Amino acid sequence: MAYSLSLGLLYLGLLCGNGLVSARSELFTPDPSRGPHFTGCRSREQETFRCWWSAGIFQNLTEPGALRVFYQTKNFLSEWQECPDYTRTVKNECYFNKTFTQIWTSYCIQLRSVRENITYDEACFTVENIVHPDPPIGLNWTLLNVSRSGLHFDVLVRWAPPPSADVQMGWMSLVYQVQYRVRNNSHWEMLDLESGTQQSIYGLHTDKEYEVRVRCKMSAFDNFGEFSDSIIVHVAKIPSKESTFPTTLVLIFGVIGVVILLVLLIFSQQQRLMVIFLPPIPAPKIKGIDPELLKNGKLDQLNSLLSSQDMYKPDFYHEDPWVEFIQLDLDDPAEKNESSDTQHLLGVSRSGSSHVLNFKSDDDSGRASCYDPEISNPEDLASLLPGHSGRGDNHPLVSRSSSSIPDLGVQQTSEIEETPIQTQPAVPSWVNMDFYAQVSDFTPAGGVVLSPGQLNSSPVKKKGEGNEKKIQYQLLSDGAYTSENTARLLSADVPPSPGPEQGYQAFPTQAVEGNLWNGEYLVSANDSQTPCLVPEAPPAPILPPVSDYTVVQEVDAQHSLLLNPSSSQPAICPHSPNKHLPVIPTMPMGYLTPDLLGNLTP
Amino acid sequence: MNRVKVLQAWLWCVSLWSCWLSHAIPLDCKDETGSLIQCTSISQEKLLDRVIQHAELIYRVSEESCTLFEDMFVPYPLHALRNQGGTVWHTKPFPIPGSKTEIQQISDKWLLHSVLMLVQSWMEPLIYLQTTLNRYDDAPDALLNKTKWVSDKLLSLEQGVVVLIRKMLDEGILTPSVFEHTLTPYDEPSPEVLESILRDYNLLICFKKDAHKMETFLKLLKCRQSNKLSCLSY
Repeated sequence: MAYSLSLGLLYLGLLCGNGLVSARSELFTPDPSRGPHFTGCRSREQETFRCWWSAGIFQNLTEPGALRVFYQTKNFLSEWQECPDYTRTVKNECYFNKTFTQIWTSYCIQLRSVRENITYDEACFTVENIVHPDPPIGLNWTLLNVSRSGLHFDVLVRWAPPPSADVQMGWMSLVYQVQYRVRNNSHWEMLDLESGTQQSIYGLHTDKEYEVRVRCKMSAFDNFGEFSDSIIVHVAKIPSKESTFPTTLVLIFGVIGVVILLVLLIFSQQQRLMVIFLPPIPAPKIKGIDPELLKNGKLDQLNSLLSSQDMYKPDFYHEDPWVEFIQLDLDDPAEKNESSDTQHLLGVSRSGSSHVLNFKSDDDSGRASCYDPEISNPEDLASLLPGHSGRGDNHPLVSRSSSSIPDLGVQQTSEIEETPIQTQPAVPSWVNMDFYAQVSDFTPAGGVVLSPGQLNSSPVKKKGEGNEKKIQYQLLSDGAYTSENTARLLSADVPPSPGPEQGYQAFPTQAVEGNLWNGEYLVSANDSQTPCLVPEAPPAPILPPVSDYTVVQEVDAQHSLLLNPSSSQPAICPHSPNKHLPVIPTMPMGYLTPDLLGNLTP
Repeated sequence: MNRVKVLQAWLWCVSLWSCWLSHAIPLDCKDETGSLIQCTSISQEKLLDRVIQHAELIYRVSEESCTLFEDMFVPYPLHALRNQGGTVWHTKPFPIPGSKTEIQQISDKWLLHSVLMLVQSWMEPLIYLQTTLNRYDDAPDALLNKTKWVSDKLLSLEQGVVVLIRKMLDEGILTPSVFEHTLTPYDEPSPEVLESILRDYNLLICFKKDAHKMETFLKLLKCRQSNKLSCLSY
């Protein structure tokens, strides 16, 4: 009951009180709009305390003594006592010394005007609730460590408790708060409360100046004291040369090593790198032709190679049909000019195309191709047909010489097909083209004058014989030419040609310049040969054999060609004086045998 | 009146019994398994340090509890009550001086006894406080836990002080202190009424003050033990 009553009274008193000194004593801010009031009470060390008041708007109460302070300690419910000490130096201050200061007791103070007996203000408090400790002293810092990068550092800040606070006795239990900031910054960093007298600050930046300050308060109370003086914490950034020195060295050596490696690599792989970076520009190249041939100067091979190109064949066909495979074997004075004549002849052909003579481009050269038209011609004739174009990449030279034997069978059939082409003069491509030329006349110098001949009417058998002879040619010779024996052999087999043998006769030339030919020429065993044409064909019904050309052995005084000097017959040139090379049907093949010659001679 | 007398008698018996117990039966020391073993001796300084730690903790927790209660239940204008230290709601058998000079003149014996008295005087009110706080609808658990904790710690503090007294003062017998507690009758619920709130608030404030006293006394005692010269009043 008594308790509740006292409590109620207290509550009423509080409500009725004009002024309240809150636990968190804000003070020193006199409110001019109010009347006389207490501005605050403070204790520094929990042993003494002071109170201040202000007259406020009542200026007539400013003189000392007008307002008086009375206090009462609630413990004993004693009477009101006046302020024990009005501070003389400070205006409106009441000082309670140690004698009058008791903790754990409530004080109530009143501001009265004695003259008017008016209580202007009242406040109640306990001393420990108004304690604002003095700031700590002796604030200093020591460097704890610096980070490896040299950018951060830690410090340990130390201080001492305020001398006025009796911490040792335990009269006041203080807790401290450290604050720091970058200099001239407005924001203070606050650390946690520390009950000791030192604290570490981590993570400060080098080359930055920091301000550090500390304040304290009683533990379990809320009133902080004033801040201590700030100290400056600064650690200069140490340019750690030692740490950078090895790194730069390592860097330099690494770069040098890499450069050396690159140089070695380049030098070792120079060729490859050259190919990669500077690829060789492909030189113009003709298929089948080795540039080395050009360098070596073997024109024969070159010519054969070139003639194997299909593109040249039509030219040859179109332009100089009769100038082909004429082989001159002129002795004596003729031989001197042989080259010139040959060249002249060949030049004619060359005018058309340089590869005319190498039409077939076989190793059998002109003879083989003329001799065995059924083998070689079909393909060529086929090319001559209007429908035909170049035979593509077929190399008749190479293919035929190498595989003529197995291909014979095939070609025979093809020949049969193609024979009508050959025999029919109606073949347009053939009309104006003759494979062979009839030697019409001889020049005084020994040159041969050719005239266009006629088609052979019966080339069939000749073809067949030509095949055999071709085979024999292949067997006995290296394809380029036929020896005399071979020729004889072949001539023996071949029956005398029905028609006048003309046209196609091979004149073995001895010294054919290799420049023009591919070395394919018919070489006769005999050297001296007089150009003597045996124009007329033996009247024998049997067709002459397939031999394409006849070996001219000698030329008699009558300028007739002796085909076979072994025969007793003189140069079989019956026709020559008489006929002067009349129209002799062109015999595509066959040559005059001695028998035939014998028949021919009148 | 009968009831009051009965209560007083009960309290007397309780205090006697507690005193007898504390005196007659030595402090049992139990190890982890729970079996009774001989208590390991502890030095006086260490014991005093531990006691002071206890007192400090109790003081801090009391302050936190007071703040919690204040924020939760007490209207803002009445927060000044805290500043005023509360009203004395029970009389003490002997006055405790408040000034530093006077306190410094208190003897060790007196200091220890005062501490013991304070501890003992707060045991029951704290139990009461727990019950009343449980009646609040929205009492924060932290507050309840703190009060519970303080009650437990008070017991251990008392034990420590008793041992200290025995050691320092060589007093085996403790004169029981009889307090006339004006116990709040339990049949007055009214938990949410302002009066009860103020009552509890006052209780907390007073407890905080007394805890501060305990701590101060013990620290002074320690100071005296270590360095007699500086702690004496000049």
